[in-house]
Amino acid sequence: MGKTITEKILARAAGRTELTPGTFVEVTTPCPTVIAPHSAMDKGAGLILEWGARVFDPRRIKIVDGHYGATASHNAAENRRIMREWAVVMEVPEENIYELGRQGIENMVAVEQCWPLPGTCYFQGVNGHISTAGALGAFASALSYGTAGYLLRGRTWVKVPRSLKIVVTGTPPAGTCQRDVSEYILGQLGPSGAVGMVLEWTGPYIDRLSMDGRFAICSQALFTGAWTAIMNPDRTTIAYAQARTTEAFEPLVSDPDAEYAAVREFDVSRLEPQVVPPPKRHIVKPVREVEGVPINRGFIGSDANAWIDDLRLAAKILKGRKIKRGVILNITPGTVTILKHALDEGLIRTFVEAECVVPTPNEGMEWGANTPLATGDVCIATAQTNYPGRMGSNDASIYLANPLTVVASCIEGAIVDPRKYL
Amino acid sequence: MPGYLRGNAWVFEGILDVDWEICPYSLVRDLQRKGPITYEELGRYCMIKVDPEFPNKVRKGDFIVAGHNMGYGHDHDHACMAIKGAGVGAVLCESAAPYFLRNSIDHGLPVLEIPGVAGAVRQGDEVEINLERGLLHNRTTGATLTCIPFPKFIMEIIEAGGLYPMLRNLVAAGPRRLG
Repeated sequence: MGKTITEKILARAAGRTELTPGTFVEVTTPCPTVIAPHSAMDKGAGLILEWGARVFDPRRIKIVDGHYGATASHNAAENRRIMREWAVVMEVPEENIYELGRQGIENMVAVEQCWPLPGTCYFQGVNGHISTAGALGAFASALSYGTAGYLLRGRTWVKVPRSLKIVVTGTPPAGTCQRDVSEYILGQLGPSGAVGMVLEWTGPYIDRLSMDGRFAICSQALFTGAWTAIMNPDRTTIAYAQARTTEAFEPLVSDPDAEYAAVREFDVSRLEPQVVPPPKRHIVKPVREVEGVPINRGFIGSDANAWIDDLRLAAKILKGRKIKRGVILNITPGTVTILKHALDEGLIRTFVEAECVVPTPNEGMEWGANTPLATGDVCIATAQTNYPGRMGSNDASIYLANPLTVVASCIEGAIVDPRKYL
Repeated sequence: MPGYLRGNAWVFEGILDVDWEICPYSLVRDLQRKGPITYEELGRYCMIKVDPEFPNKVRKGDFIVAGHNMGYGHDHDHACMAIKGAGVGAVLCESAAPYFLRNSIDHGLPVLEIPGVAGAVRQGDEVEINLERGLLHNRTTGATLTCIPFPKFIMEIIEAGGLYPMLRNLVAAGPRRLG
């Protein structure tokens, strides 16, 4: 009987010929692991120091300062200092440290550098949105509380998950993009649609999607109760990986007769731009149902939509226009590399002339560390989540939408269907 | 007997979110401002959004019984800490959110996914669990269910009271570099 890509990857990582879903196995990976100053000490890194112990291999640790940017809040300066001291004691090589000026959102830097390899497991300290790396045909998971356990021994345990196959066909109409595809489909699955499972994204829509679009789709798995997301590597994936890494890799793919918990098919050819109103994450609506809601803050960023394609979409509508007075629009490129591309293409100039704010690449506004919200603020954002208090005040509201909707709404000061601008 | 637990069942319905039903995140944020938080402190907030008296009523070693998507949401481990701090011996559910399951076991709190448990265990039933054999026995009704057993490398974590107590013992006993 056939196996899924996930079952094959975990079997290889566990040194077994095959695995049964639901069982526990110990796994290793040749890939590096990213930790970050905002969270590393909470997840046990400090204990390693306290015990006088050492990490299993300092060359396989990457430190990425991806959550703070230039913020003065969140104890950033002190946590940065503590992280560097730890890195020195553990002998993490300097070239493995991505400090400010060299940084980006951790998940995005990881895939830009191709640290996750097709056919491997990839582990990161925190942040379930590391599912992003699944687009490289890797099984990607956060270690969370168990981070230091992995850093000490170079292995961790997993409970082998089942997979839910998603087949996406059709071409979304102008004005909609990959964000709408994933919000619509995840909304249809619901908060318990895929508990503990791996979302395996397939179909002609995925095959035609750029790597950036694939990363973005994979970043959003957890709102269905799913563990992570994955895609079967194809020529696009292999070309991307070969251009960025000299590490050897051996891709794995699902067998045609692999067993899935369910198979769900979606045709996106009649999709409309989607919005997720506050306070619940899983109620997804077409934009026309929330048009007219006044907004005074906007955000384009996070590992859902801080890719160069997202910045290009935003610039398309912003060029030659200004956002409404009273609105602040924060556009944060995901990594320093993406910022450089955006500069080359004149996108940053377009944003600045439109009177937007362009912070240094980081997670920033997504979690309230840059341009936070105050009582009564209403924000439209490409962020990952909208729960009260996420971006600052508990009494601010966050609507989630695609980058076109965010920009169009900031021009008018109210939620609008972006298609009128195209 | 290692891996053998016995207690009374506390049954909860619906999706239990780590940042709300299990332990409200805003309370955790307020506590964190004062410094590191203990299991016991968080235990006082366990399930209070569903049953405000739960922390006072639950007895050490009792079980939480839930349906699908136990521990839904972000990989915030304060929820597991709250459950452990309240004295709960194990969580028995139809299915668990994956980061809740990982974090709970790493904190030394067993979480068992047992198909049929929500229908086979009622409020107050006396239940026995054998972690190493993957068995649940409802002493009140006589029903028995099976689930995936915990292998040795998971039992080591549970028996030590969590991943870090286990690793501290290993580090104290052995070389500086374990991997």
